[in-house]
Amino acid sequence: MRLKRWFSFIFQVALTDVDFTFCCRDLLYKPVVLACGHVSCFWCVHRSMSVICESHCPVCRSPYQHFPTICQLLHFLLLKLYPATYKRRENQVLEDEKKSGHFSPQIDRLVSASHAKEGLNHVSDLAQFAAISSQDSLSSDPCFRNNGEACVNIQQLNSVSSSEEHGRTYSKEKTGEGLEVIGGHAVDEKLWQRNYNGSCKQVSVGDVLCASCKQLLFRPVVLNCGHVYCEACMVIMADETLKCQVCESPHPSGFPKVCWELHHFLGEQFPEAYALRNCNSQLTGVHSQHNGQTTCSTKSRKRGVNFSFPAEDDHIADVHIGAGCDSCGMYPIIGDRYRCRDCVEDIGFDLCGDCYNTRSKLPGRFNQQHTPEHKFELVKSTAVHDMMLRLLRGQLEDVSAAIRAAEALETPENVFPSPANDAPENSDSDVGGDVSVTDAVEDQTDEESLY
Amino acid sequence: MVDFARVQKELQECNRDVELSGIRVSPKSDNLAHLIGAIPGPHGTPYEGGTFNIDITLPDGYPFEPPKMKFTTKVWHPNISSQSGAICLDILKDQWSPALTLKTALLSIQALLSTPEPDDPQDAVVAKQYLRDYQTFVGTARYWTETFAKASALGIEEKVQKLVEMGFPEALVRSTLEVVGGDENMALEKLCSG
Repeated sequence: MRLKRWFSFIFQVALTDVDFTFCCRDLLYKPVVLACGHVSCFWCVHRSMSVICESHCPVCRSPYQHFPTICQLLHFLLLKLYPATYKRRENQVLEDEKKSGHFSPQIDRLVSASHAKEGLNHVSDLAQFAAISSQDSLSSDPCFRNNGEACVNIQQLNSVSSSEEHGRTYSKEKTGEGLEVIGGHAVDEKLWQRNYNGSCKQVSVGDVLCASCKQLLFRPVVLNCGHVYCEACMVIMADETLKCQVCESPHPSGFPKVCWELHHFLGEQFPEAYALRNCNSQLTGVHSQHNGQTTCSTKSRKRGVNFSFPAEDDHIADVHIGAGCDSCGMYPIIGDRYRCRDCVEDIGFDLCGDCYNTRSKLPGRFNQQHTPEHKFELVKSTAVHDMMLRLLRGQLEDVSAAIRAAEALETPENVFPSPANDAPENSDSDVGGDVSVTDAVEDQTDEESLY
Repeated sequence: MVDFARVQKELQECNRDVELSGIRVSPKSDNLAHLIGAIPGPHGTPYEGGTFNIDITLPDGYPFEPPKMKFTTKVWHPNISSQSGAICLDILKDQWSPALTLKTALLSIQALLSTPEPDDPQDAVVAKQYLRDYQTFVGTARYWTETFAKASALGIEEKVQKLVEMGFPEALVRSTLEVVGGDENMALEKLCSG
């Protein structure tokens, strides 16, 4: 049966903390933003995608076909906010990746020159921060008082010796207030974040700039390529498609929705600046321009590239099960699929027909060492072939199961030596054995149905 | 491979507000892939006052595949098999989403108890009764709740005590009671035969 009306309620319960993913219920790692504005980890999204047809957002169930690129702005933001937990997550994910043999992209290597510099700054920041972590928590205590958290502060001054203990006392405080806190680590990190803010190393406006207007993001939207814009800064091209102004890759699935998690974060982090942006946009009436498009998903979905899905039988033959385009992220690829012949990685490098024809220069979705010199080959879909094979195999399994069952019936006969060597008598005992066994089975089923 | 880190977190989250929701999830053994959930019968329904146990098995793909759930407490409901305890609920099948948790799935089952859907039944007999003779349905459901859901909730310790006094080892008594879903007479029968 269907229980749709409960979903909104259930998801409210499920999403208690904005920085935590719904899939692994841990801190976001290598965040990916779907076209509906919901954020999840790289691997969580990849694993939750369907291999044979379009996927649905785990939270709002809006359909999508493209696996978005990691949002680097969010990645660095999280790294800055929760350095220790993010590091722990990195190690954890790396271990999983080693087990599976598939690796997610190395972000530091991907960034462009200007970004790379920024990344280095982050790293040095982190190193500094780690070095002074223990003193920092003590030295920044006055900042706590400034923030109006005197009670926490006093408790800490009395009991603090390590940052871990900070976490514990803080968690007591928090749970006492009836607030939702997930795990000791998270609490520890939140404290760090506050310290971070207190010691004037907080997230600056420079970390959350729009890729187009270079101002503080307002009502942020994230494109398929992972670049973040203000909702009002998105320019719809003459042919009704969206194109990223940084990397020039087309955004495939209509006008993206506002990423509310980032929106709320910005509102809390920069209350004055955000309110100002809000006023400005209301004065100029810029963002109302897109309102219709963002709320009406069916209409906006008609924009951009349209794909038909294997709902119609004639498309089944074109589906490349389990293969995704490394440029636009279409997963599974429907239509032409070009596979790189020179990439040695397990996960391979594939392009869909459109991306192959536009000679996309984007790096792979995983950690492939693909270069433009590599040669491609056109691959035929094996969907129908696979299906036939699976059907055949299913039949074979039925047959082998039948054989096994027959063997099982025969074994009692092997255990008990037949009384005589005469062929007719033997067959008689055979029948007898069969009958007794089936009787037993019938008895069992009778018992079950009674129970 | 089940994501045990997530399961562990879910258990913590769920047990944090047991008093509020009344929903419990506990591991059946050391292995976190096999759990037992318990939901209170919703107020204003024939299931009120009962506690219903649900057997949860996590498939290898969890949380990307739905958990397998079935009632171990017998329950009279159009969408729950009165024989096997199988549950007909879309979110446990094709509508599962990794954003759902064991707790939210159990909440949905609790919601299912208060809003039966006889047009898409799991147990045709119950559904027929629900549609044709609602009063009898309510009576039967209430009787089943009294007999199976309350007995198992009330005084499990007393039952253990009683059976231990008869001379059975306590560990065996507990495990047997669990197997038969808390029914004292069935446990005794099983203990005597085994």
